[in-house]
Amino acid sequence: MRRYTYYPGCTLYTKARSLDLCARKAAEKVGFELAEMPTWNCCGAIYNATSDDLAAQVGPVRNLAKASQLGDKLVTLCAACHNVLKRVQNRLDQPGNEVESERLKTFVDERYERSVRVMHYLEVLKQDIGFEAIKSKVVKPLAKLKVASYYGCLMVRPKEVLEFDDAENPQVMDDLMRALGAEPTRFDFKAECCGGYLVVNRRDVAKSASHRILDNAKAWGAEAIVTTCPLCQYNLDKLRVVTDGSLPVFYFTQLLGVAVGLGQDELGFEHNAGDPIEFLKTKGLL
Amino acid sequence: MMQEPAEPLKKKQPRVGVFVCHCGINIAGVVKIPELLERVGIMPDVVVAKDYKYCCSDPGQQMIRDSINSDKLDRVVVACCSPTLHETTFRNACAEAGLNSYQCEIANIREQCAWVTEDKDKATDKATEIVRTTKAKVENDLPLDAITVPINKRALVVGAGIAGIQAALDIANAGYEVVLVEKEPSIGGHMAQLSETFPTLDCSQCILTPRTVETGRHPKIKLMTYSEVDAVSGYVGNFKVKIRQKARYVDFKTCTGCGVCLEKCPGRTEGRFERGLTKGKAIYRLLPQAVPNKPVIDAKSCIYLTKGKCGNCAKVCPTGAIHYDDTDKFVEEEVGAIVLATGYELFDAARLGSYGFGLVPDVVDGLAFERLLSASGPTSGEVKRPSDGKTPKKIVFVQCAGSRDSTNGMPYCSKICCMYTAKQAILYRHRVHDGQATICYIDVRTPGKGFEEFYKRATDDGIQYLRGKVSKIFRQGDKVMVWASDTLAGRKVELEADMVVLATAVVANPDGVALARKLKTQIDAHGFMTEAHPKLRPVETLTAGFFLAGCGQGPKDIPETVAQASAAAAKVLAMFGNTRLTHSPTTAQVDEEICVGCGYCERTCAYDAVKVDAARKKAVVNAALCEGCGACAVACPSGAMTHKNATKKAIFEMADTF
Amino acid sequence: MAMSHTPAELLEQVQILSGQVVSECYQCGCCTSGCPIGEAMDPPPSRAIRLLQLGRAQELLDSEGIWMCASCLVCGTRCPRGVDYARIAEACRAMNLRSKQSRVDPDTVTAPELEEIPQQAFIAAFRKSSV
Repeated sequence: MRRYTYYPGCTLYTKARSLDLCARKAAEKVGFELAEMPTWNCCGAIYNATSDDLAAQVGPVRNLAKASQLGDKLVTLCAACHNVLKRVQNRLDQPGNEVESERLKTFVDERYERSVRVMHYLEVLKQDIGFEAIKSKVVKPLAKLKVASYYGCLMVRPKEVLEFDDAENPQVMDDLMRALGAEPTRFDFKAECCGGYLVVNRRDVAKSASHRILDNAKAWGAEAIVTTCPLCQYNLDKLRVVTDGSLPVFYFTQLLGVAVGLGQDELGFEHNAGDPIEFLKTKGLL
Repeated sequence: MMQEPAEPLKKKQPRVGVFVCHCGINIAGVVKIPELLERVGIMPDVVVAKDYKYCCSDPGQQMIRDSINSDKLDRVVVACCSPTLHETTFRNACAEAGLNSYQCEIANIREQCAWVTEDKDKATDKATEIVRTTKAKVENDLPLDAITVPINKRALVVGAGIAGIQAALDIANAGYEVVLVEKEPSIGGHMAQLSETFPTLDCSQCILTPRTVETGRHPKIKLMTYSEVDAVSGYVGNFKVKIRQKARYVDFKTCTGCGVCLEKCPGRTEGRFERGLTKGKAIYRLLPQAVPNKPVIDAKSCIYLTKGKCGNCAKVCPTGAIHYDDTDKFVEEEVGAIVLATGYELFDAARLGSYGFGLVPDVVDGLAFERLLSASGPTSGEVKRPSDGKTPKKIVFVQCAGSRDSTNGMPYCSKICCMYTAKQAILYRHRVHDGQATICYIDVRTPGKGFEEFYKRATDDGIQYLRGKVSKIFRQGDKVMVWASDTLAGRKVELEADMVVLATAVVANPDGVALARKLKTQIDAHGFMTEAHPKLRPVETLTAGFFLAGCGQGPKDIPETVAQASAAAAKVLAMFGNTRLTHSPTTAQVDEEICVGCGYCERTCAYDAVKVDAARKKAVVNAALCEGCGACAVACPSGAMTHKNATKKAIFEMADTF
Repeated sequence: MAMSHTPAELLEQVQILSGQVVSECYQCGCCTSGCPIGEAMDPPPSRAIRLLQLGRAQELLDSEGIWMCASCLVCGTRCPRGVDYARIAEACRAMNLRSKQSRVDPDTVTAPELEEIPQQAFIAAFRKSSV
């Protein structure tokens, strides 16, 4: 079974732990293992773009150094962690940036072995496992459940660095949903921001941004939304005015787990608002 | 009586005159002219060294002519600006004074000296060396005569949009035969798709059809539609063109254009002429007024040709004009001049990811909206939206969809969109009296005659202009949402519309780009054909005999296109006004005693001007095609290939002057 | 820090920290059009850059808008000149924070919020808005 060095990140390790466990179990069913790094620290949660702030890069560089000792790939389940780590790795590798890069690498105590390829769980599914193989592992096809794939802004931008599919209309998660037997709906807000960290001090702004996303998904006939980042999942799920049971917001690995036959209690549903179990039962999926 | 010993034959010493131009302060402001003259004056064989403020002027040229005679000069060096500007001027001046033009050389001490430094001493030193080197060259120059070639006074025009049509008519009306090649089944180009034209709001068909009919009937125009240029060989005045006449499956001689076949055809195409608003039929005419008014069959969508079933058209055709066994044919034409008028296309808006084109049916591009407005279009001129056929009560027009964007390879302005968007909004409001139009723009560009007044007409009509580039377009229910902004008020704006029209960027017709690559005529980074000089030679190319007209050279509107087409025709007619064409004699030449026919020269030549005669195993230079670039002489391993007036001896002597 | 610098110096600082050249912006407004926070942000991205272009950097530094950027990067991704407003906002925030002025006080977060909201949001928010 393929083994990947895995970086969970703060939220998936604590508040969204159930999502992390679900994802690991789903991975095993599909054919790979997530081996958590023995020690790791906060990735920084958001990339610092100021040209001269090297201190802000130290956290992620330390993680990359540790990961580099364990292999040449680093997998993360959270779009925000993926965004920071991949952008920092890119910054270290940028031609012309050698002086800054050396400073950072020599500053951390951990030995920096090599450049690491930072991958999101979705990229592992698409590039290393392949959707055909995943399809063959599906025991409970998702009964044409209409799903809107919400990637969020950090998953696809900046496009030159992340190189994750088309930045305006990505298809990777839609293709995954299709492979699992669901029906990906058209959706115009796939990569529009949910408000992100503005939920802390400008909840109103995050709320209206998230609502727009939900409204558009509904307008296209979606019955559920899947996300790639625990913060997006929170904003879409918990900030809305009406939680009428419609449009549950799942983490993509939850639906993956349902499709590959994980048990009801292994899917982390305590994390979602409303009653996702009831919803899935009405769809005949549980 | 003792005889005087015979004088050994002495090589005649050249008598070189050097004329240094001030070019105002362009040269004199940097190069120290008196010092330069002093240094030049003492160079061996320099008989006279003079300066003048503007040598290219009449008195300047007169000074050179007078000096040739009074100082008995047999070589002239003019130290001035780039030869691309005045080489011809000075060579002509020398010829008028009886000196062979090709024994006059230009020493460029402006672009290559005065204009690249502010250091006067360095400039003067460099100017001295440039003159010294040029003198070494001119001393080796032999007198040469220009080559002349015959001219086949027939023209080829590629593309029969309004540009090609205008050029063809102008040339044909002057009495010369024109071969007009068009890849579509009928002529008229994009102008035939338009409803009305700005700023007069003339019906496009009404002003176009007189031209297309005249073209179709003209005794001097050989019209080849549904045809493409496959290859061109030869040189200016003497081109051989291979044209592919695509299989039409309809015999144009027996077809009467009755149109019965069109009614019975079940095959469907993507409907390019209607911009995808409706599907076309496999047997089709582009429009009711098509010239020629005879249909063709699109083989890929014809059920008979692909599956062997149907055959309706052949069954109903009263004259038996359908021939399913047709094939592509090749025709060869000989012409003396070629006008490239391959036109434009609109950028594929699906590539503007955030604009929803292709995902939202009610987001269309400029040409598609023209088809909706056009009386001969899919909705007979009624403005109906594609998704449900309802009349849109609110339309948002989005300008600069793709243009002025350095990040997607189209940093230029497409020139026509501001005007045609205003026009479309005016026409929409004319058809739908209670319709609302909002135009999202960055700037409104109205440079033509009557254009600013036309724009005012739009705003007077209540059309709202909102300054802000649109970022995103998406569907919400049965509305189309547009994320725009009002930069003048400093606010983001969300608009709700029934339909959106994108004024997408104008790009060069990809078929035209492919043709230019085949013909090796120059195209710029965006695929538009390059003119010989952006200011002074807008309808010529750097390849002799090829001329340009229309949007293939860059985005432009109809008045400019027509003007450019007539200009290209005028250039062709100017060429045809000569008995023979002259060509520079400074070409490559082969020393047949040394040449072994290895073929390196042939492989190196970019102009197909040198070929190895297989029988004699010698390279043969076609002086009429040779542009004198010297590449073959460099490539030749044995030294058999030399260059007239740029021989190895001359070049070594030039190098030795350092 | 902010008060004692000339407008030219402030602009220079912003440009260096952000790596952006404000003269590249031709004020098309696309950034404002696409900003998910655009309606609430004052000044919105294009107007913010206009302030910089006009030598009014201090007004931007003092504004509310720069604190409302979520760093989603839509502005820079769709800008036809490739100008990245998110980095400009970040530079402005950094210039304020470096003069030891916090924007968001962590102590104002309530216990239930702390319990519920993913900590990733807190870390990101405080890194962007407080010292």
